[in-house]
Amino acid sequence: MSFDLVVQQALNGISFGALLFILAAGLSLIFGMMDVVNLAHGAFYMLGAYVALQVVQLTGQFWLAIVVAPLVLAALGLVIEPLLLRRLRGRHLDQVLLTIGVGFVIVDLIGLTWGREVRTLPFPPGFDRSIEIGGSSYPTYRLFVIAFAVVLAGLLYWLHRRSAVGALIRAGVDDAEMLSALGVDTDRLFAITFAVGAGLAGLAGVVAAPAFGVQPGMDVDALIFSLIVVVVGGLGTLNGAAAGAALVGPAETFGKVLVPQFALALIFAIMAVILLARPSGLFGRIRVGR
Amino acid sequence: METSDRPERRPKITRREFLVAGSAVALAAACAPAAAPSPSPTTAAATKAAATAAATTAVSSPGPTLKLGMLLPFTKVYAELGASQKRAAELYLKQAGGKLANRPVTFIFEDEANDPQVGLQKTQKFIEQDQTDLMMGIIATPIAYAIRNAVDSAKFIYIGTNAGGNAMTRDTTDCKPTCKSKYVFRTSFSAWQVSQPLGEWVSKKGDKEFFLCFSNYAFGTESAAAFVEGLAKNGGKETGRVAPPLNNADFVPFVTQIKGQATKNVYSFFSGTDAIGYIRAWNQLGLPAAGYKMYGAGFLTEQDVLKEVKDQANGAITSLFWSVELDNPENKAFRDLYQKEYNLLPDVFAVQMWDGMKALDEALKKTGGNTKDKDALIAALEGVSFKSPRGDFAFDKGTHNVVHDIYIREVKTTGGQTVNTIVDKFGKVTDPGK
Repeated sequence: MSFDLVVQQALNGISFGALLFILAAGLSLIFGMMDVVNLAHGAFYMLGAYVALQVVQLTGQFWLAIVVAPLVLAALGLVIEPLLLRRLRGRHLDQVLLTIGVGFVIVDLIGLTWGREVRTLPFPPGFDRSIEIGGSSYPTYRLFVIAFAVVLAGLLYWLHRRSAVGALIRAGVDDAEMLSALGVDTDRLFAITFAVGAGLAGLAGVVAAPAFGVQPGMDVDALIFSLIVVVVGGLGTLNGAAAGAALVGPAETFGKVLVPQFALALIFAIMAVILLARPSGLFGRIRVGR
Repeated sequence: METSDRPERRPKITRREFLVAGSAVALAAACAPAAAPSPSPTTAAATKAAATAAATTAVSSPGPTLKLGMLLPFTKVYAELGASQKRAAELYLKQAGGKLANRPVTFIFEDEANDPQVGLQKTQKFIEQDQTDLMMGIIATPIAYAIRNAVDSAKFIYIGTNAGGNAMTRDTTDCKPTCKSKYVFRTSFSAWQVSQPLGEWVSKKGDKEFFLCFSNYAFGTESAAAFVEGLAKNGGKETGRVAPPLNNADFVPFVTQIKGQATKNVYSFFSGTDAIGYIRAWNQLGLPAAGYKMYGAGFLTEQDVLKEVKDQANGAITSLFWSVELDNPENKAFRDLYQKEYNLLPDVFAVQMWDGMKALDEALKKTGGNTKDKDALIAALEGVSFKSPRGDFAFDKGTHNVVHDIYIREVKTTGGQTVNTIVDKFGKVTDPGK
């Protein structure tokens, strides 16, 4: 591989990682706060893409879709948490099982509503071409995905570290009972967290749709990749999602191109090595048994 | 928050619990479609049609009901293909008055869920439990390979309507991965039949060097090999290859690899989702402007793909035995009938099933509706020949694979419509299998 090609493939890997970060951030947030591995995350991602498809078909506006789809998903999260998950609070495996069911229902409803054919979302205006980078051309949409993920990461970091809601969420992650005893409405906090997590999944769906298409089965791929990212990076932390995505994205891209037969095995090998060396992932929080 | 009826403290999930639960879930997700209840036999329409037909022609003493086992995917990645073939089968029966020869027909549809194990179970159900007269269908090659021995040993006739793995209608060493059977017919194609003529055609025109990019699974590999075989016929050769996995999400890395090659002609084997992702990445990276040219098996530019990529596929040259624009009276009649019934254009999968029904219909007319005498029915099927929407249709007596014309098509956009325009034709292409 020439140097040029290596640079291009590195950019491909980083942009894939950027997308994985958006996807995994929501999963990680929900887990950190609620101790629930939300296995409907892939379905939320898929629904985000289909909502975006609908918005683009109606209005032709990608930029509207990137706002509307996450809001729709957040609203759905606000309904699902109090209606279903709250009833099973404290029973983690039951909650996980419930999220699988929710995922299946959403995916089937998508099939009934939008059909089971493969669909595509056009690139937003201005991002359908390539620009020159170091002597060779590179698609602008991919650069947009990278930039978008970086800005989002900064925003999430600020929210998490500096804002009042962030402080409450961090407190809730550490000790929800104590927080509740201090008079904070944890029910509301849980609902908000779940909504934000679902919204992030929807956002990832919109951002992914122009590059990767909109089709049945995309939910499973997304779920598997986001689980790998959070396991590698460490569950429940934003840093973990970022580190996991930064590692898995390029590994997946270079693996597929250089050793296509072992690409998937390579990802799992990386995961295994990291779990051996750091059982709680790169930035996993050590949980104090209580 | 804690209630008194739940005295234990809220347990934090441990990492181990998470991993165990996670893997259990992954397993469950993988097996779920297989375990899901199969769709109940959707025979209402067919039996109704049959009942009407029986009532109106009671004087001509209809034979006993003909039970047809239809093994198709109704869930997962190939669900749309299964739906298309189901529509074609029901449409054929409807226009035939609910009967094949003198026998009213009942379809029993089963979901193969794109899983060889499920496909084999459903095949055995057709043979033992449902006692169907014969079986049709199967989209994915691994499923066809998995059921071959079951139908062969049960002396149970199966008419394949898609799965195109070469070995299904060939003699192979020790029958590995599978081999032809007296009881297996195929109305669709073999991998060789679609891609070899394209290789021969391009190399004859003077394009001798090709880079290969194909889906990394048996049918993709066989197709690429057949193309290279065709190339070699006129002194052409492959200059390198890259093989993305089946159902790949991100095609940009692979198209980036193509862009790093000096060879500008690229043979591409993809279908459905993969084809759309590939063609979009191809344009996004500016390959047409850089002088790269796309060639491939016809699935790369069928309507399901063109409807999404539109003029981005312009200039691609592909080979297939049919095209919706094909100009012959049978195709026109078929297209009009299908469009009237379902308000959508037929695709190549519909043609394959339509021809399967037609072939069976013709053969049953010769045996007087008899399906008990297997040898007589096999002989009748072998002798079938008719005008199909794809042109002349016949079976190769030696292998039971279809013999048909292969068209070389170029994607063009005229008047806002992106279509496959026919540029050349190979007459009566027969798979070289013995």
